Amino acid sequence: MSLLSIRNVFKSYFLHGKRIDVLRDVTLEINRGELVSLVGASGAGKSTFLHVLGTLDPPAAGELLFEGRSVFAMNDAEIAEFRNRTIGFVFQSHYLLPEFSALENVAMPALIQRRDRGESYAYARELLERVGLGARVEHRPGELSGGEAQRVALARALVLKPAVLLADEPTGNLDPATGEGIHQLLREVNRDLGITAVVVTHNETLARSMPRRLRLVGGQVTDA
Amino acid sequence: MNAERQTVYRWSFIWSGALVALVGAVLLGVAISQADAWARVSGMLGLSGLGWGGILQTLNALGLTAMRSSAVESVAALPGQRFLFAGAVVWLVGWVLIAGGIRRAPPSSEGPSPAAGAQLYPRLANYRDFYWSTLGAYGGGILLSELVLILLQTFLSNGGGASAEGKGLPPVGAFAISLIAASLVAFVAGFIGASRARRLAMPEATIGVIYLGLPVPVLLSLMERLPDLQVSLGYRLREVTYVAELLGRPVVGYWLVFSLLVLMLVLGINTGFIAAGSGRVDLKLGFELFVARRHVGVFRPSLLLGTLAVLLFGIIPPLIVYGIIRAVEAAVERTRIRALGLEDPLAAASALNRLKLREQSPTMMMTALSVGGVGVGVMSLIIVLSVMSGFEQDLQQKILGAHSHVVVTKYAGHLREYPRLMEQIAKVPGVVGQSPSIDNPVMVLADDEVQGIVLKGIDPETVGTVLDLPQNMLPGGSLENLTHPEKIVPRRSLGGFGLREPEQTEEEFDPIIGRPTKSAEEQALPGIILGRELAAILRVVVGDRVNVISPQGAELGPAGLIPKSRAFRVAGIFYSGMYEYDAKFAYILLSEAQSLFGTEGPSGIELKVADVDDARRIASQVRKELGGYPYNARDWGEIHRNIFSALRLEKLVMGIILSIIIVVAAGLIVATVIMLVLEKRKEISVLKALGVSDGGIVKIFLSEGLQIGLAGGLLGLFSGLAWCFFIEKVGIKLDPSVYYIPALPVKIEPVQTALAVIIAVLVTYLASIYPALKASSVEPVEGLKAE
Ligand SMILES: Nc1ncnc2c1ncn2[C@@H]1O[C@H](COP(=O)(O)OP(=O)(O)OP(=O)(O)O)[C@@H](O)[C@H]1O
Ligand SMILES: [Mg+2]
Repeated sequence: MSLLSIRNVFKSYFLHGKRIDVLRDVTLEINRGELVSLVGASGAGKSTFLHVLGTLDPPAAGELLFEGRSVFAMNDAEIAEFRNRTIGFVFQSHYLLPEFSALENVAMPALIQRRDRGESYAYARELLERVGLGARVEHRPGELSGGEAQRVALARALVLKPAVLLADEPTGNLDPATGEGIHQLLREVNRDLGITAVVVTHNETLARSMPRRLRLVGGQVTDA
Repeated sequence: MNAERQTVYRWSFIWSGALVALVGAVLLGVAISQADAWARVSGMLGLSGLGWGGILQTLNALGLTAMRSSAVESVAALPGQRFLFAGAVVWLVGWVLIAGGIRRAPPSSEGPSPAAGAQLYPRLANYRDFYWSTLGAYGGGILLSELVLILLQTFLSNGGGASAEGKGLPPVGAFAISLIAASLVAFVAGFIGASRARRLAMPEATIGVIYLGLPVPVLLSLMERLPDLQVSLGYRLREVTYVAELLGRPVVGYWLVFSLLVLMLVLGINTGFIAAGSGRVDLKLGFELFVARRHVGVFRPSLLLGTLAVLLFGIIPPLIVYGIIRAVEAAVERTRIRALGLEDPLAAASALNRLKLREQSPTMMMTALSVGGVGVGVMSLIIVLSVMSGFEQDLQQKILGAHSHVVVTKYAGHLREYPRLMEQIAKVPGVVGQSPSIDNPVMVLADDEVQGIVLKGIDPETVGTVLDLPQNMLPGGSLENLTHPEKIVPRRSLGGFGLREPEQTEEEFDPIIGRPTKSAEEQALPGIILGRELAAILRVVVGDRVNVISPQGAELGPAGLIPKSRAFRVAGIFYSGMYEYDAKFAYILLSEAQSLFGTEGPSGIELKVADVDDARRIASQVRKELGGYPYNARDWGEIHRNIFSALRLEKLVMGIILSIIIVVAAGLIVATVIMLVLEKRKEISVLKALGVSDGGIVKIFLSEGLQIGLAGGLLGLFSGLAWCFFIEKVGIKLDPSVYYIPALPVKIEPVQTALAVIIAVLVTYLASIYPALKASSVEPVEGLKAE
């Protein structure tokens, strides 16, 4: 059984009486341990697709199955818990919480799960060291550079060892070298921890280096 | 037609419709005025406000149709009929316009969407918009809580004195227990209803409260007006009405209690929604508090101390002190940085930067203001209520010093059998003293001065066990002089420096009885004890002679009935500290009073009880012991009900007025938390993306509001108590000519004080519900898109 299956998902926006069909009848399977890239023109609906995949945005119709279980049929608390345990997000910009230090930000998903604070911080520190930020644990997001913040965000997405990692142009705002570093990290995570990852990118060469490539055109997602 | 234009059209429809409907309503009003029918219509209109008018009208109309055969056919034309029709038509047209306005715009001009026929996304498919079970829980809960309150109150308390059933708790205590039980019922009902529906379910709550909750207080309020209702319900509800009357105005009491129950229901609904609204009960708070404390740092020493200083000393002095401290601090800091700069310029630059960065955000200021607002409200509530309690206590002390706690009387006749009764009464536990007495209004004369007073016959042996009279005697006279009037030293032998001329003749002609009497000095006149103010009015001192004229026990004289007159010698003067008593009371021997008033026994037995607040229960036990009719026992609360209920009403009104401060502060909290929510939209989205549930978000923002309320409440408590202690220890002098009390009295009542804090915290909790719900409705994608 595939890890994630998307069945006949539709998503449209209505604005001023006009309809924008962003996703039209998307059906797709993603298997455990896959590393998938998703490309598409700007405004094609890549972010929207990723949000539906990550349960942040309910589809207008259709189903999302995780290990055969319909995710959107769950109630609010169960969805929140699912999001917390199963999915790790890295967004285009880092979206760290400004009042908390890098360490607290990374540990946040574990704290939400009401895990022991000491243990969470210890593991968060380990992760931060792994992404090369051992010297920045006490910094607030405002005191980090863009690339550093993005690495903290990646560490935060990984702290609970989620089954799925969703990354929306994680390197969009970074210089090529730093971006390559992040992509390297993603590949490592996928290989070493066995985390299934879907990465949205504009970088064609990068996309081509991924084992599986998806393309979003005209509201349809196809293997490229 | 483009969308903006369409919106404009829609709104102009709705607004003009509302205006037209209003004109219609005015026309209808004119019609009713012309027909002079407001009195008849108002009841129906009031019911329509609750939504019952329509049903009742329909029933009424059905009844009329049934009776039609026998009804008079021709109805006289009403005076304002034209207005009536015009008004009705205009009113309807207005509503048609409004209905035209709310018509939904067509969704899309691009044909059916490709998703037509696709499987609906499951949560939408499972959605229900009305829960009968929740309606049952809310409505049944509020009704049940009212019934619990009334029944428990009736069961627990001593039945208003007369009836023997009930647990015999004092009414106020029974009321407190019943109120707590009823609040719990309302809370639990709200909790259950909300957790079943997994949302707040406001329509259900509104319907439940209006249709099932309102009738009981409405009925109770109507009871005042409708004597029939009072007769049929009054007996059973006497306990309830008694407690409500303690406030001075029962209707206010009913509605206050009702609002409290509704409040508890709302709290229950909200708690149920948070705890279980998202599927399971989760009352843990650790993580939410962790986040909330970062958002608003209420419990930091600088903010708490600063607010406390403002509450204690006003705004200006702390501001000056703060300015001085800041200036000194900055100077010290800059000196330190300069010294540092000589060694390490890098560290100095960074330190300087940090100094500049230490600014306060607007939310921070708002938070401080809200904390201060709640603090001011709680503080003034505590101070004012404590001072009013002080006045009440003072008054109570003075009244109870001059009056007994319980008076036993007989419905007809006098208590000739009082020694037997006193033996019986002594068996009742809680009675610590008793004394027979008789009192009647009389006039008292001394030379040219006349004063109407209450003359009381007492038994000097036992009066000390009931009244404070022996302790209140001023030096120079004494109670014993009543029994041994010959011991009173007439004033002339003291040296004769009085203002009056010494009596010249042996035979004195009394102008009022119209008979010659013997000289005042030679006669051993019976003694009388006067209040200090009365003595001052009559211009007499101990040893002077006064005449008492009583309409009671008049004698038949040559010219018909002549009021009885007796001469007394002032045996002593008392000072109770309460003007009313010091100017209006005089005491004589019981036997003298009996002969003066022509009675054969005392009119009552006065009792003193161990616990003043228990007087009511003891009175009813005394009544039971004496076998009821013809004997009656009334406690002080009943005898002086008017003055105490006036005081309590005043206190209640002050409490309500001051609570407005707290409500304003709650408004500030709403604003603060809304600002926080707006400021943190992005963070809310991120938290949701990380897996915080809606309930978790609500908890975060609720605890932020609650922190503010708690901090404000505690600061208010401390400063209020501090002010009370200041007033008590240092004292605020009162003008003695006005108040008859030397200084402002204070009495801190723990329950009342705790209630002020609890109400403040509850109100702030309620105030943050709305912003917290707003926060939880922020969609995760919303904040992630906004750059
Ligand atoms: N809230 C919204 N209301 C209306 N239209 C929206 C909304 N959000 C997105 N859209 C539209 O949906 C389409 C898809 O948006 P989306 O953000 O998914 O694009 P994208 O593929 O991620 O683009 P990019 O590569 O630039 O990030 C866009 O055309 C956008 O205008
Ligand atoms: Mg995008």
